[in-house]
Amino acid sequence: MIMQRELTHPNALYIHIPFCIKRCSYCDFNSSVYQPDVASRYVAALEKELGGVKDHPYKTVYIGGGTPTAMKEGQLNQLLSAVSSSLDMRRIKEYTVEVNPGTVNARKAALLRWGGVNRISLGIQSFKEKGLRLLGRIHSRRDALDAFSVLREGGFNNLSVDLIFGWSGQTLMDWEEDLTEVLSLDPEHLSAYCLTVERGTPLARQIRTGSVPRPDEESQLDMLKKTINFLDNNGYKHYEISNFAKKGYRCRHNVNYWKNLPYVGIGAGAVSYLNGRRTSNIRDILSYIERIEAGRSAKTFGERLTPRRRAAETLMMALRMTSGIKEKNFTVRTGFTLRELYGDVIDRLCVLGLMGIRQGRLYLTRKGVFVADSVMMEFL
Amino acid sequence: MDTKRIRNFCIIAHIDHGKSTLADRLLEHTNTVSPRELKEQVLDDMDLERERGITIKASAVTLLYTRDGKEYMLNLIDTPGHVDFSYEVSRSLAACEGALLLVDASQGVEAQTVANAYLALEHNLEIVPVVNKVDLQQARPEDVIEEMEHTLGILPREVVRVSAKTGLGIEDVLGAVIDRIHPPKGDTAAPLRALIFDSEYDEYRGVIVYVRIFDGSMRRGDRVYMMKTKRMFEVTEVGIFGPRMTPAERLGTGEVGYFVANIKTIQDVEIGDTVTNFNEKAQEPLPGYRKPLPMVYCGLYPTMDTDLVPLRVALEKLALNDSSFSFEPEQSPALGFGFRCGFLGLLHMEIVQERLEREGNVNLIQTAPSVTYEILTTGGQVLVISNPDKMPPVNEIEEFREPVVNIKIIFPVEYMGVVMKLAEERRGSYKATEYLSQRRVMLSYELPLAEMIFDFHDKLKSATRGYGTLDYTFIGYRTSNLVRLDILIGGKTVDALSSIVHRDNAYARGKRLVKKLRREIPRHLFEVVIQAAIGSRIIARESIKPMRKNVTAKCYGGDVTRKRKLLEKQKEGKKRMKSIGSVEIPQEAFLSVMATNDNE
Ligand SMILES: Nc1nc2c(ncn2[C@@H]2O[C@H](COP(=O)(O)OP(=O)(O)O)[C@@H](O)[C@H]2O)c(=O)[nH]1
Ligand code: SF4
Repeated sequence: MIMQRELTHPNALYIHIPFCIKRCSYCDFNSSVYQPDVASRYVAALEKELGGVKDHPYKTVYIGGGTPTAMKEGQLNQLLSAVSSSLDMRRIKEYTVEVNPGTVNARKAALLRWGGVNRISLGIQSFKEKGLRLLGRIHSRRDALDAFSVLREGGFNNLSVDLIFGWSGQTLMDWEEDLTEVLSLDPEHLSAYCLTVERGTPLARQIRTGSVPRPDEESQLDMLKKTINFLDNNGYKHYEISNFAKKGYRCRHNVNYWKNLPYVGIGAGAVSYLNGRRTSNIRDILSYIERIEAGRSAKTFGERLTPRRRAAETLMMALRMTSGIKEKNFTVRTGFTLRELYGDVIDRLCVLGLMGIRQGRLYLTRKGVFVADSVMMEFL
Repeated sequence: MDTKRIRNFCIIAHIDHGKSTLADRLLEHTNTVSPRELKEQVLDDMDLERERGITIKASAVTLLYTRDGKEYMLNLIDTPGHVDFSYEVSRSLAACEGALLLVDASQGVEAQTVANAYLALEHNLEIVPVVNKVDLQQARPEDVIEEMEHTLGILPREVVRVSAKTGLGIEDVLGAVIDRIHPPKGDTAAPLRALIFDSEYDEYRGVIVYVRIFDGSMRRGDRVYMMKTKRMFEVTEVGIFGPRMTPAERLGTGEVGYFVANIKTIQDVEIGDTVTNFNEKAQEPLPGYRKPLPMVYCGLYPTMDTDLVPLRVALEKLALNDSSFSFEPEQSPALGFGFRCGFLGLLHMEIVQERLEREGNVNLIQTAPSVTYEILTTGGQVLVISNPDKMPPVNEIEEFREPVVNIKIIFPVEYMGVVMKLAEERRGSYKATEYLSQRRVMLSYELPLAEMIFDFHDKLKSATRGYGTLDYTFIGYRTSNLVRLDILIGGKTVDALSSIVHRDNAYARGKRLVKKLRREIPRHLFEVVIQAAIGSRIIARESIKPMRKNVTAKCYGGDVTRKRKLLEKQKEGKKRMKSIGSVEIPQEAFLSVMATNDNE
């Protein structure tokens, strides 16, 4: 059920930490190498920005990056206290922090736990040393396993692991072994991303110059199929294109995005979606800090969507979830009926077996998931 | 000006042999324009043509030159230099008494040199042979002069040696123009007879008519009469090109210039027509020359229906300035409403299409070009078709005829084998070999126009490492064993992809075509089947497997805008394609019908 309140009041708060120990080869996130003095000013700026958006009825908080745990304990602590003192913590149902192996120990884990964090997303990406090397990760397989147990022992009973597949040189067998290994850790949630070679990344350059072979699409497809079957059979429900969860452990924060409901983002480059307007903060870290320090807004971009565009976006995001969208809810959120906007397209895609309608829900079939982008394009 | 002091001439040359450069030097030497103004090549003044280095529109310039105390009026009439435009050369030649035949001292005689020289001889022009670029290190003027002697019977001692770049010999060229080309032989007292050799549309003044006066004279205020179109106009301005339009008192016998007369559309002016005085009409029109007939046709369709009207407006505007371009509305079952357009040749077609996209701002689908065919029906009727779709049912065809050209190819002897092979693959029938010199040879073939028009020139260039050149003249229609090759996409015949081909080639052609289409058409969400058929018989089949994977792995709050924009952009790209049924077909696919004999 969607509440009217959900449509107008943001339930989700995202906090961006744009620092990493070292940049990974495939990464195009807004992040740079951690410098302690910049981070101190940054956290102070975050605190200030948070002060302006603290009064919304948030139910989820997500601190992502970058690598939040790349920061020194003091800085991390300062951030966590700022969050817990500004927000009404009793209402926060899900509070996630992204952690990378190699940046966490028992003390940091405890710090997070005391700070009210109840969910960790651990970026393991691969258990294969050749994969970790190719992806330019800072940690080994051992570090990853250690990090996981440190977090478990630190009292986290909602752990998610990120994995990447489809990198150059990875065989289907390599991937099956990674999947088996991750199951042995028994996390509550799993994200398995097919590698995208983003423009401008070191990896893209390596592929262009030929020092790394281009990942093969057919084998990526085989791996994706394998992932879905394997995890589904082992108690992890495929609920979004790249996300799997045990019962009751879907990521509420991300589901809010896929429902195209409002949210607030703070920090460099963070995006907010409020009152039908999408805005984003300046990406450059120092410019962000300077603007906030000077008492100015950090926003540099804003768009107000036309009702049609918003409807298209709502559908585009909702179809990422295997449950799709209830026709009724689409109407509540957009003011249009699915029929009036897309009747013909939907019929055509259903005939092709790429979409289905069940109990009033429109969703992508398994076959449709593999070509989700092409399907979504039909709705734009 | 006393007609004895007038000389009317043009420069004929193979492309890049230095015609424009020589024209610049002549303008400069006679102080017609200053060197600074010359920075831009004055004779070709359309962007597109400058980019391609091809003069398309004939234009003219008057040079005033004093020798031995006597002032002469030298009228230089520009000619196009590409094979497609050989008909257009005629219009310039008809206005002249002489021609400078310009040959590059390092390249030697080329196909267009020969073709244009013959044209000039047919028009009884005095030929002044000129060897250009003698400053080049690799210049071999002696050999080149020998080639000229051999092919065209030119006397070596008559050849003027110049460097259009350095200005060497320019004085001699001007001398030869005065001494060797005879002055116009008109009758000053007779009623006006002026040949229209070009026209141009000006938004403010209407049509500007380029004329060469043969008899009598023309003044502002005269009422003139077009003998062929039978229209009367009142002249509001006459003048000469110096090189800009310069109003004058009158245009006298033998002179070249322009007049303006409130003429609204270019259709009112026919190139080759004779202008006479309305009150005192001449008995006979001038011989004129044949209007160039379009040789190649294609369909132009807007990718979006809403662009139909803008496209028509753009075509109309284009036709105003280009009398050799024609168009008429047509309807294609696959592509909807569009236009069938006629061109002199393939290059002409490309230029027109570019200009349309650039100036008209419309996205176009161009169908494969076709020549015109003659069909004798069982009922004894002769149909002329330029669109395969308009072909009558096979059982009503008594005889199928296609246009044939005489083609002359000049190249270094060592390429004899490959060139002959190329010509024979294209159904050429051998006519003659002629040695221009020890090293270079000219082959003549008769070849179906359809085989030569599409990529023969490119193929020749690559087979001869750029040394081969060609020129062709239309000789007539010949009976041939032709069939229509249809293409079906998703089971539906796409009329715009149909072509008429020789029966012997149909099978191989069909196979190649479907292969090629398989590469050009992007993957869809479903399987796309492509078939080639003759009548109801399928002769080739390929299929495009459905798209298998296209999915963004990560998409959270911060990614939505970027993601949507990306998809929107891809969607925009699809708009350049034409959808037939639910298959999106890109422009390239329609053009793939063109490449005739690829061995891919
Ligand atoms: N070295 C040299 N180059 C020349 C001479 N005349 C023309 N060119 C060059 O040859 C090329 C073609 O000349 P252009 O006048 O454009 O040829 P067109 O296509 O016949 O008009 C240009 O790069 C000229 O600069 C010459 O006498 N000597
Ligand atoms: S740790 Fe994460 S954010 Fe940092 S560089 Fe690697 S992938 Fe990018």
